[in-house]
Amino acid sequence: MRGLRRWLRYVAGVLILAGLVVAIAFPQAALNAIQLPLFAVFSTTRMVVAYLLSLVFAIAYGHTAATNKRAAVVLLPVLDVLQSIPILGFFPAALVFFVATFHGHPIGIELAVVFLIFTSMSWNMAFGVYESLTTIPQDLEAAAASFGLRGWLRFRHLAFPAAIPKLVYNSILSWTNGWFFLVASEIFTAGGTEFKRPGLGAFIAVAGRNGDAASIAIGIGVLAAVVLTLDIFLWRPLSAYSERFRMETVTGREIPRVPSPYERFRWLPRLPRLRQWTLARLQPVAARSHRMSLQFERAYSGHPKVIKEVRRIDLALFLIVFVLVVSTGLIGLAQMFLRPLPLSAALLPTAAFLSFSRLLLAYGIALAWTIPVAAFIGESERASRYLTPAFELFGSLPATALLPVIVGFALLVTASFGDAAQLAAVLIALFSMQWYLLFNLIAGVRSIPDDLKEAARSFGLRGRAYWRRLLLPAIAPSLLTGSITAWGAGWNALIVSEYTQYANRPFEVPGLGSLLNHAVFDPVPDSEMLLLTILTMIVVVLAMNKLLWRPLFRRASQRFRLEV
Amino acid sequence: MHALLEVKDVTKSYFENGKEFKVLDLVRFDLAERDFVCVVGPSGCGKSTLLRIIVGLDKPTSGAVLFEGEPIRADNPQVAMVFQSFALFPWLTVQQNVEIGLEAKGTPPEERHRIARKFIDAVGLTGFEDAFPRELSGGMKQRVGIARALAIEPLLLCMDEPFSSLDPLTAQNLRDEILQLWANPDLPPKAVLMVTHAIEEAVYLADRVIVLSSRPGRMIAELQIDLPRPRNRKEPEFYGWVDEIYSLIV
Ligand SMILES: Nc1ncnc2c1ncn2[C@@H]1O[C@H](COP(=O)(O)OP(=O)(O)OP(=O)(O)O)[C@@H](O)[C@H]1O
Ligand SMILES: [Mg+2]
Repeated sequence: MRGLRRWLRYVAGVLILAGLVVAIAFPQAALNAIQLPLFAVFSTTRMVVAYLLSLVFAIAYGHTAATNKRAAVVLLPVLDVLQSIPILGFFPAALVFFVATFHGHPIGIELAVVFLIFTSMSWNMAFGVYESLTTIPQDLEAAAASFGLRGWLRFRHLAFPAAIPKLVYNSILSWTNGWFFLVASEIFTAGGTEFKRPGLGAFIAVAGRNGDAASIAIGIGVLAAVVLTLDIFLWRPLSAYSERFRMETVTGREIPRVPSPYERFRWLPRLPRLRQWTLARLQPVAARSHRMSLQFERAYSGHPKVIKEVRRIDLALFLIVFVLVVSTGLIGLAQMFLRPLPLSAALLPTAAFLSFSRLLLAYGIALAWTIPVAAFIGESERASRYLTPAFELFGSLPATALLPVIVGFALLVTASFGDAAQLAAVLIALFSMQWYLLFNLIAGVRSIPDDLKEAARSFGLRGRAYWRRLLLPAIAPSLLTGSITAWGAGWNALIVSEYTQYANRPFEVPGLGSLLNHAVFDPVPDSEMLLLTILTMIVVVLAMNKLLWRPLFRRASQRFRLEV
Repeated sequence: MHALLEVKDVTKSYFENGKEFKVLDLVRFDLAERDFVCVVGPSGCGKSTLLRIIVGLDKPTSGAVLFEGEPIRADNPQVAMVFQSFALFPWLTVQQNVEIGLEAKGTPPEERHRIARKFIDAVGLTGFEDAFPRELSGGMKQRVGIARALAIEPLLLCMDEPFSSLDPLTAQNLRDEILQLWANPDLPPKAVLMVTHAIEEAVYLADRVIVLSSRPGRMIAELQIDLPRPRNRKEPEFYGWVDEIYSLIV
């Protein structure tokens, strides 16, 4: 605790000093930066609103999918697909929709931004809820049923608490994800018009466009400070608190948590009271509806047919809506394909191949450095103590915010403009992908039981043999999990990595991302190309998931699982 | 006049890839007030499945379970369940865990607290009301499980291998406590139905032992254990019963 406070004081000192130096050296940039605190508040508010929406959505969706078998038939595949497709691809479409609906009013743009962040946050969280609810131990489920817990009571005492650990864990991931999209969406040009909402993302993007290095640095610094503050005062305490809701396994050892200097905070004990308070407020409302549903059931329990009818009507309504939505979508698609394809559609296969190669290159680079580093960090307590927080901070900075820095760097080290664009595209993909690999790998190395490591050592496994016989097989499942998420992030990064502006010059490389950009942001938007490009991307991503990752994952989790 | 519990020709099959996979075959017995019945059988013969069907958590493929003449429902407050894995809510305190069934019944808070205290005292956990399950030993956890089941004042207490994950000494203490509670007319339960694979345990506790065959579980025998209580494991009569059941199963 004392160490932490000292550490924080150092950080604050360094920040203030840096701020002063910048202010003296670049008065113009400092003047711009005066609005930054306000921008930070705007951006964070958007994040919070989107997060709260996601939270409600995730709980409702995950809970329904886990408890209602008939709804699950539809909800699960939808979740599976939406979880793995690049959402940023939909942003232009959503944007056009919101802007048109609100006739260009800023509210429309705000809604579009919040909607984008919401879509990037919610699926992952919904999946977490679903997963926790379906892995509640059978006996606990039986206990709840046999003691008569139903409806709200069951939710409050069983489902919600059981979902907390995964929900918090996935919230942290979602939150990081959210920054990525926030920064990408606060400013953009569509159909020749620029849309901009005040915020950190827009600030950094404008600074990048003007090639204003000082402002870029200040913007990223403030963003880092916001990210770090929220991490320390919100997510760390929350995740420590969520430990309390973990299921106890009868046997099995604790997987060591990533040690962190900011483990516990004094205001933490107030959290349970906050939860109690909220639940107590909700209680009367829920109790009333519970009573009403009981009354309803009692009133009609003599007529089980009526209840059945009500259920049928429910289901029928749901099916009707579902069929309507799906069929309009299909009809739209069919109409599009019946007309001759636009000429530029011929570009799609090449573009897909180029984008894929770029991601593959970035993935290779990421693998090459994250595996050794993860092995080192995972095996050494000390390295972990100091390096993990640093990596976590760096990893939670959205790649979209680092964009100007990366492009600037690419310009520095390459000879020609085209090379710089290529390098920048790969680097942005790398920065979007690598952290998922690193953190999953560290967790994988940590989950190797000490006994097994000691056994390996005592049988003289060293060097290459140690890697081949123990380390690599043991981290295979986490390597795959990390890879899947990393590729997901990579596809999302395409739209920003293949087309950016820096110092008033567009940086562009051929690929799906730039096709998408042109389809939307050109003075004459091309909605057919937009749809076709998104479809291509979805097809490639789903094919990779179904044909590559799933089978690999199944095999790895069977062969290399560490039995407890 | 009905028996308290009637198990009528219960059969249970699972279907895997269209193939039937029978777990229980025509199990039938009655249970009256003041009975203490144990079901024994080899591992995997369907004992847990039978108990889940009896308390209404699962439906039989054919046959029926009647409680006081009515088809059983899982949330029937007259029947309470104790689990091998304790099945306590890890995020609730001992007190809250014990109150859970009462809360579901809609008992007002003050009364809930009072009843919960009474049963926490009855299982000897006074002073641990505010502890969380993870802070308790296995034996104490199972005491919470028992208090939770008793708090809804059930007529019938159902237990699935409640002592098999405890050390022998703790298990023996808890067995004696269950016997005391059962014998005490002022405290629930009126009748006990317990599933176990430990034959000695069954002979020590039960009036009646129902022996199931290995899968699919069929009733091989229903034995009236007429030993006087308290029973002594060292006596030859006790061993006579144990040996007889062994020979039936093997
Ligand atoms: N949901 C299910 N689907 C398919 N098979 C099942 C299911 N539940 C139980 N079984 C099978 O039914 C059989 C009986 O299981 P059950 O748990 O009732 O046995 P048991 O006598 O309690 O065993 P144990 O002594 O190990 O507790 C087992 O072979 C099990 O594999
Ligand atoms: Mg069993």
